[in-house]
Amino acid sequence: MTDQAILDTLTGILRDLLGDDDIVLTPATTRPEVPRWDSFAYVSFIVATEVEYGIKFPIADVESFQTVGDIVTAIRKLKAA
Amino acid sequence: MLFNSYEYILVFLPVTVLVFLLLGRSSRSLALGWLILASLVFYAWWRPVNLAIIAPSIALNYALGRVLLGLAGDPARARRRTLLLALGIVFNVCFLGYFKYANFAVSVAGDLSGQDFVFRQVILPLGISFITFQKIAFLIDVAGGRIKAFSLRDYLLFVMFFPQLIAGPIIHYTETIPQFERATCRFDRTLYAVGITLFCFGLFKKVVLADGMAAHVTPVFAYAASGAEATLLQSWLAAVGFTLQIYFDFSGYSDMACGAALFFGVRLPINFDSPLKATSIVDFWLRWHITLTRFLTAYVYNPMALTLTRARAARRQPMLRARDSHPLAFLHVLAFPTIATMVLSGIWHGAGYTFILWGLLHGLYLVVNHLWRQYGPRPAPGVFAGKPGLTAQLAGFAVTFLAVVVGMVLFRAPDLAAAGNLLGGMAGLHGPGLPGARFGAAGMQLLDGGVTARAFATAAAILLALLAIALLLPNSVQILAPYEPVLYTPKRAAEVPGVLPALGRRPLAWRPTLAWMVLFAALGAVSMIRLTGMSEFLYWQF
Repeated sequence: MTDQAILDTLTGILRDLLGDDDIVLTPATTRPEVPRWDSFAYVSFIVATEVEYGIKFPIADVESFQTVGDIVTAIRKLKAA
Repeated sequence: MLFNSYEYILVFLPVTVLVFLLLGRSSRSLALGWLILASLVFYAWWRPVNLAIIAPSIALNYALGRVLLGLAGDPARARRRTLLLALGIVFNVCFLGYFKYANFAVSVAGDLSGQDFVFRQVILPLGISFITFQKIAFLIDVAGGRIKAFSLRDYLLFVMFFPQLIAGPIIHYTETIPQFERATCRFDRTLYAVGITLFCFGLFKKVVLADGMAAHVTPVFAYAASGAEATLLQSWLAAVGFTLQIYFDFSGYSDMACGAALFFGVRLPINFDSPLKATSIVDFWLRWHITLTRFLTAYVYNPMALTLTRARAARRQPMLRARDSHPLAFLHVLAFPTIATMVLSGIWHGAGYTFILWGLLHGLYLVVNHLWRQYGPRPAPGVFAGKPGLTAQLAGFAVTFLAVVVGMVLFRAPDLAAAGNLLGGMAGLHGPGLPGARFGAAGMQLLDGGVTARAFATAAAILLALLAIALLLPNSVQILAPYEPVLYTPKRAAEVPGVLPALGRRPLAWRPTLAWMVLFAALGAVSMIRLTGMSEFLYWQF
């Protein structure tokens, strides 16, 4: 599972959620950069990601993700554990 | 010690800064140690027992933090970490709950049982909710691995730093402590100029604008509370007037806090961003008491929504989407946690039915806002991320402003009867109340020696002036924006939809020049003269 593959999956989840096919996530993307990616859509995004990968982020971590790259790193860590 | 008192402005603050700079020449540790000592004096000034109440809680939180730090990063001990964190949060919430709500709980029990309980009033230690919130955020940050190391000195600096000790902005450890570590503890001409300007801004907002409005608002609320029917003009004057009063009061306080912090080389997070210009209620909460919204979103709303969304996902029920969500998903993971969070926010603001109702009302406002976003008219293709048109912005502004003003009546009224009285008056149920006709009634004579028509005209003139300042002028942070007076200084220019477009393009940018200095010296001087009628900041009670 490469980082790019995870990024593509996350992009797909967010496009579906926000109904916006122009979204392209990079490791440096932050939430305010994506229109309509507010805290409400963020929670749905996190859970959709958890379902996709069969993982569960610790609640304290969900608040600490600054960039999409942080989420990718957390997914890799949880999949490896 | 009040920010708007002679002893703070003329003695405490200058002495603290001077000694800080002197000690900073030889050692940063000494300077920071002095800052902690000064903060303890600041906190104990009004009532030394405050310090005695808060000290054990600080000690316990520090100890908990250290144990959590030892457990952090070890997946095998994640369970113990979670348990300990939960214990810490429960302790802090109980600590806060006891001091804030013991009195209210007894009075509710009395209401329900119809009996009067004799109960000794619990003393509310100054700023206890702000201090407790920061301690909770700290424990969560440690457990989440965002704080890798900390000393007792760092912890005390974080909890006790006097500019933001009593009423925020509510900060994270990682926002201020790294700044203290980088601080030169030296005099910086530009930084001090920005700090003094922001401080004068805040002092003027509080002492001249907020207190000036309060003099006309307070009598009307007292009049309504006495049971006399508040008329249309009276009620609107009180409701809009109080909205402006609390805005200038609290944003003035925040300016003074952020300004004073700059003297120690620290930028505090932005707390107000012209909230009354908001064009939706969601927008309002992203601009009003920003650090509280941030705290409640991160530590109340998100965990609740996350838990509920996971439960839906486990049952393979439809998820919440950006648009056209399944109605049950909307109710379950958006409407419910939003209302619950806002009710909690209401209870936090004050132990009383009016505050609970205020929270509930804002929860409903937010739900309506999200209903519109979910199921309202779809923006035309191509303008998906663009700004709405001028008409839509003005309509959004009007609805939002009205909603906020109605909420403020509940926020300010001493009880539900007075709130109902004023809201009825605003709806025109108690007649128009033209000046001179019914304004001679007892409470209103307090306005201005019984000269009722003139008193009303004065109050209305002040109200309109404040409204113009709040809605048309750029705010203090925008004027100082090139110098980043606060953390997260917004990048966008000051804008007022449809009005003063020139101002929107070219904000009144502050520069360290003589002209600006004279202006702010004048604002500061006027404020200092008015200080004699010293009043507390509204938010110190929370």
